[in-house]
Amino acid sequence: MSKQPQLNRSKLPLSGRIVMFFIRHIQHAMASMGELWRNPVSSIMTMAVLGVSLSLPAALQVLVKNAETITESWNSAAEISLFIDEGRSETAIQSLITRLNVYPEISNVNYINRDQALEEFQRLSGFGEALSYLDSNPLPAVVMVTPSVKYSSPAGARELLRKLEQEPEVSFGRLDIEWLERLQAVVKLLERTVLAIAALLVLAVVLVIGNTIRLAIMNRRTEIEVMKLVGATEAFIQRPFLYTGIWYGVIGGFLAWVIINLLVWYLDSALAELLGLYGSSLQMESLTIAELGQLVLLASFLGWLGSYLSVRQHLRAIEPS
Amino acid sequence: MPTNKKSYSMIRFEQVSKVYPGGQKALSDVSFHIKRGEMAFLTGHSGAGKSTLLKLITVIERANGGRVAINGHDIAKVSRSQVPYLRRDIGMIFQNHHLLMNKSVFDNVALPLMIEGFSIGEIRKRVAGALDMVGLYGKERHNPIMLSGGEQQRVGIARAIVNKPPLLLADEPTGNLDPKLSMDILRLFETFNDAGTTVLIATHDLGLIARMKYRTLTLKQGRVLGAEELNAHDPIGIN
Repeated sequence: MSKQPQLNRSKLPLSGRIVMFFIRHIQHAMASMGELWRNPVSSIMTMAVLGVSLSLPAALQVLVKNAETITESWNSAAEISLFIDEGRSETAIQSLITRLNVYPEISNVNYINRDQALEEFQRLSGFGEALSYLDSNPLPAVVMVTPSVKYSSPAGARELLRKLEQEPEVSFGRLDIEWLERLQAVVKLLERTVLAIAALLVLAVVLVIGNTIRLAIMNRRTEIEVMKLVGATEAFIQRPFLYTGIWYGVIGGFLAWVIINLLVWYLDSALAELLGLYGSSLQMESLTIAELGQLVLLASFLGWLGSYLSVRQHLRAIEPS
Repeated sequence: MPTNKKSYSMIRFEQVSKVYPGGQKALSDVSFHIKRGEMAFLTGHSGAGKSTLLKLITVIERANGGRVAINGHDIAKVSRSQVPYLRRDIGMIFQNHHLLMNKSVFDNVALPLMIEGFSIGEIRKRVAGALDMVGLYGKERHNPIMLSGGEQQRVGIARAIVNKPPLLLADEPTGNLDPKLSMDILRLFETFNDAGTTVLIATHDLGLIARMKYRTLTLKQGRVLGAEELNAHDPIGIN
């Protein structure tokens, strides 16, 4: 009799065990929901904290998203001005334009000859009088090139500019993208900031849920001891706590969504006014349904993680004595 | 149940000693065994090691030396994660009942069955049966707090027997009860014993023991007095 008899895991048949596994999960999920209902004040407080914590990164996400749509519409405004060598004949310029038109990187070519350039300068600069004292037209002909979408980014446009400067007729080219690069840098900084703040707030959510679950465990200490005495496994004991964490996350996520919608609604009219001054009619976008799903999913995962960390640490410490 | 059929003992202690981390010696060289289907008393003054002995059986504590075997399982080989399954074979009754006061009598008694994953229908049936056996039929919806001390103790007993464990342990089950109620409780244990359950009752109520003709293990300063029974029944051990 040297062999240790195997301790049976369950007295039920396998099929019954599988069915009961799901039934018990549903029971536990419902029971922990009921537990939250029974202590509404503390539950609502926790959920509000989670909602506010989650709404901040989500709101920043909305901000970044809207900033991106706005800068995207500005991106395509990048234009390259090619100044033509003095003394090039009109035929040479026309042949250059024909060549430029077949460039795949270029979506549009606009030619401004010397006379037009002068006329425009006189009209816009306010030096019209002074110009009439000059013997000849000092302005070169200009070909305005609009890059295709693919080459409209600062880097792409710069690359295109280098290529175009190789054309023999072109004296030099100018790309007015400094402001665009600055804007993109600002957006990138904004994105990073959002990411860092989001990471911190996500950590806060995990800690808040972990602490809430810790208190719940402490409150039910005797119950846990009794459960351990009558043969409950750790998985069985921890399950309601994990579901509680998930519920906190789910409801906190929805709360964050509500907060964001209120925020967007509040900001939208002010933004519309601002954009109206710039002649733009962009509307502020809120979270889509898919993004709401992601938010709630992330929140429930954080809820699970927070309670799991807490349960791992505190449930083991409770032993019957 | 996957019990080793050849195993003769329900509880077997071989030269068991237990020293608590503080250096306090609770048990030394304790050897005894309790057969399957036996009913026995465990007695001794407070501090003699009764509680420690029960804790070793239920794996709340583990021995420092010697061997403890319960229902054919060598406790030293039972891992932490297996302990719950071992405890399901032991019905435990406590002096202070260890009931969940914010749950109904039904929920209290149903707990071991919930843990084992029985269906709701089966749980209802078994809980009703267990409550009937302890004379509390129809009090499912009461809260333990509304019941008398004796009734609370019966709820604890119903919880201990509801999943029909082969071993029943009772720690001072009559501690707070008058003699009449104590006798009723002991009669109840006898019925379970008649049905084949091994019963071990720890008590310091010597008058109670005297009225019943069961084997008594007496602990004194961490040692068993009159340990000769072990040798008398030794032919089959767990090893």
